Amino acid sequence: MKELLNIGLILAGFGLSVLVVASFWIPKILGWKEKLAGLTPLMRELFWTYSAYILASHLFFAILALGFRDWLLSGTSAAAAMSGFICFWWSVRVYLQFFGFDLEEVEDTALNRLAKHLLTVLFVCLMILFAILTWWNLGGAG
Amino acid sequence: MNTELMMWFLRLAGLICVGLVVANFVASRRLGYARSLAGAETLVRQIFYVHCAYIVMLISGLAILSLGWPELFLEPGMGRVVSGFFAVFWGSRVVVQLTYYDPKYRRRERFWDFFFLLVFLSLAVIFASATLVTQ
Repeated sequence: MKELLNIGLILAGFGLSVLVVASFWIPKILGWKEKLAGLTPLMRELFWTYSAYILASHLFFAILALGFRDWLLSGTSAAAAMSGFICFWWSVRVYLQFFGFDLEEVEDTALNRLAKHLLTVLFVCLMILFAILTWWNLGGAG
Repeated sequence: MNTELMMWFLRLAGLICVGLVVANFVASRRLGYARSLAGAETLVRQIFYVHCAYIVMLISGLAILSLGWPELFLEPGMGRVVSGFFAVFWGSRVVVQLTYYDPKYRRRERFWDFFFLLVFLSLAVIFASATLVTQ
């Protein structure tokens, strides 16, 4: 089980790294610059600042998954708390993916559809992996 | 620095984070998020609110950890990495405020500008100290 989780964390770290890199294209694909032009300067600044911090959080999760797997699999309460938090983070994102966002304004191209499905798979996998990891760290494997 | 003293500073950081969570809700009214976003496209509005919610979630998680388990931030290895991340997180927030936010708006709200700079700087110093402190 531990070996499987270890492999899962490597894949998660890789997936998160791809997400971080791909995130640089999201503003272009969704036309943020043009769509934010009508907002006040402060709202625009807040929007970009929040986006940057979310990106930094994803990068941090990637660093954890790739560089600190032993700690994430240590079975300590701290590892359980961190895994649980990351699981909660992605659970909220999965909920939003299905019920939160109105994607009608996004151009319906094959590439955008593919990106949407890949993101959905990634978010669901991350949620499941960190849920199992939380259970493992809480001593669920006995 | 003494570990016990550092834990008190981390608890103080937790209290500051609770204040920041509350401040986020006050800011949304004071800065008129709903009014400012009324003309924006639905997806932009949704992304803005989702990002706000995630920031609040992150700061709430930090507040809970700092108040309940401050010793976690002082553990060798991972604890230091988490402290380091939050030192950069809050340190960069100071830089963003000083270099990116609209100077005109900052001048208009001089008290709050200074107050939040002080808050972010304090958090950056506390988490940087937690990263560097030797047990």
